[in-house]
Amino acid sequence: MMMWWKRLVSQFNRETLARLNVAVHRDIGYTCTSLILAYCLSGIAVNHIGDWNPDFVITKQTVSLPRSLTKEQITPERIEEFGRLVKEDSYKIYDFPTSDQVKIYYDNASLHVNLTTGEGTYEKVSRRPLLYQVNALHLNRLQGWKWVSDVFAFILIVLSLTGLFILRGKYGLARRGRWLVLAGLVPPIVALLIFEIK
Amino acid sequence: MRHPVRWLIVSLLIVLFAGNSFADVPGADVGKKVGVLLVNHGSRSATWRNALLQLESSVTPSLLAIPSVKGVKTAFMEYTEPSIATRMREFDAAGMTDVIIVPVFLAVSPHTFDDIPTILGMKEDPRSLQQIKIENIQRYTPRARPHLTPPLDFTDLLQKNLLRRVSALSKDPAREGLVLIGYGDETYDKEWIELFNKVADFIRERTGIVGYSYGWCGHIANYNPEETTAAINTVLKTADTALVIPVLVAHDEMFQIKIIGDGIARVPDNKRRVVYKPDAILPDPDVERWVMTVAQEYVEKIQGQVSQAKR
Repeated sequence: MMMWWKRLVSQFNRETLARLNVAVHRDIGYTCTSLILAYCLSGIAVNHIGDWNPDFVITKQTVSLPRSLTKEQITPERIEEFGRLVKEDSYKIYDFPTSDQVKIYYDNASLHVNLTTGEGTYEKVSRRPLLYQVNALHLNRLQGWKWVSDVFAFILIVLSLTGLFILRGKYGLARRGRWLVLAGLVPPIVALLIFEIK
Repeated sequence: MRHPVRWLIVSLLIVLFAGNSFADVPGADVGKKVGVLLVNHGSRSATWRNALLQLESSVTPSLLAIPSVKGVKTAFMEYTEPSIATRMREFDAAGMTDVIIVPVFLAVSPHTFDDIPTILGMKEDPRSLQQIKIENIQRYTPRARPHLTPPLDFTDLLQKNLLRRVSALSKDPAREGLVLIGYGDETYDKEWIELFNKVADFIRERTGIVGYSYGWCGHIANYNPEETTAAINTVLKTADTALVIPVLVAHDEMFQIKIIGDGIARVPDNKRRVVYKPDAILPDPDVERWVMTVAQEYVEKIQGQVSQAKR
């Protein structure tokens, strides 16, 4: 009688726990989808930070002056002439970073001219749509967001742990799952070994 | 008092002239309250920040001895407080009328030319505006009038500083090559190269060191040690030993140890062929003297403006 009762309680607990595990995994999965996608997108963008600017599109245009000039020859009228080369009607200010260079500031753009060589670079800056925003989240640029990130990281831990116990039997952790978990460990371990050997 | 109006005019004229002659006295405090703000790049390294704070401590007594200078502070442009905005707010709260901003930066760069003025509301450089926002750097337009000095004109100063540091490491100049590793800058690459070449020529003339090469370790090099390795290997083609000198304002573990150190570690036989001391430009009494000179010069300019306005 007692054995039967124990088995029933144990069966009940296991069933309840399994159902609870699936429910937690499912609901966390739904809730976190958007943020996981945002972080993944930003992760890919930031991974290649050495090759591109993940936040801004910087459009550059080279301009050439008809002849070289000196700092003393730079007047507001000349600055307006330079503006016409890059289709800017009005400038905000101009300034001299060195004795042979002038930089002119426009709305969301600037023109940096080397007066000796007569070469100039016009630069327009704009935000990369979507990536700028997901990077702001991923890189904790928003004040206080790091706490949200900490909670999110904790939730992801729960998500991966509950994921381990979703299935039982042939595809469960005890059989096929175990080998896949171990397979997932191989790339980081190999990479770290190579890193240490080097 | 037969002519009260005439007396009034005469009295007014006396007051006006007296005021003018007072303003013309050099060094006179003419109601200006001047603050001096030493601005540096900022770093996560406490060692780096302490070197800059030490610079402030060293120059403060002499700066406060200048009439009308009422406060001296340090601000870090990035990473840590006190930021430029925080310090300028403090100067405003203290009732400063003018603040002389001394950028303690090696050479011209977008930091000194665009970022600092943009933070202070003196400019609106599009790239700086965006960068400042994503780096959570606060902008603040102060009530006190900001006077931004040029960055340290390091040519003379750097020559002396590096000559001293190179001489301390050099043992056999005829067999040695000089490797200068600096932060570098993409926009002002030409100016940086010219500065380094000039300084290297000066050192080689005085020491007899044969080879020379330079490399960048900052953003332009993606903070990679590869440029350091390449610069050392270049010098080692003609010299037996490479003397590696970090041309950086202060000691930062990430640069002097991690990036430059890793760069050296990749050079074959580096223990025998590379001589390196992970030091920095600071501390240097010449930098302190430069801060004093430039601050004094700007105080005189500010007072000169007052005198002219009164005339």
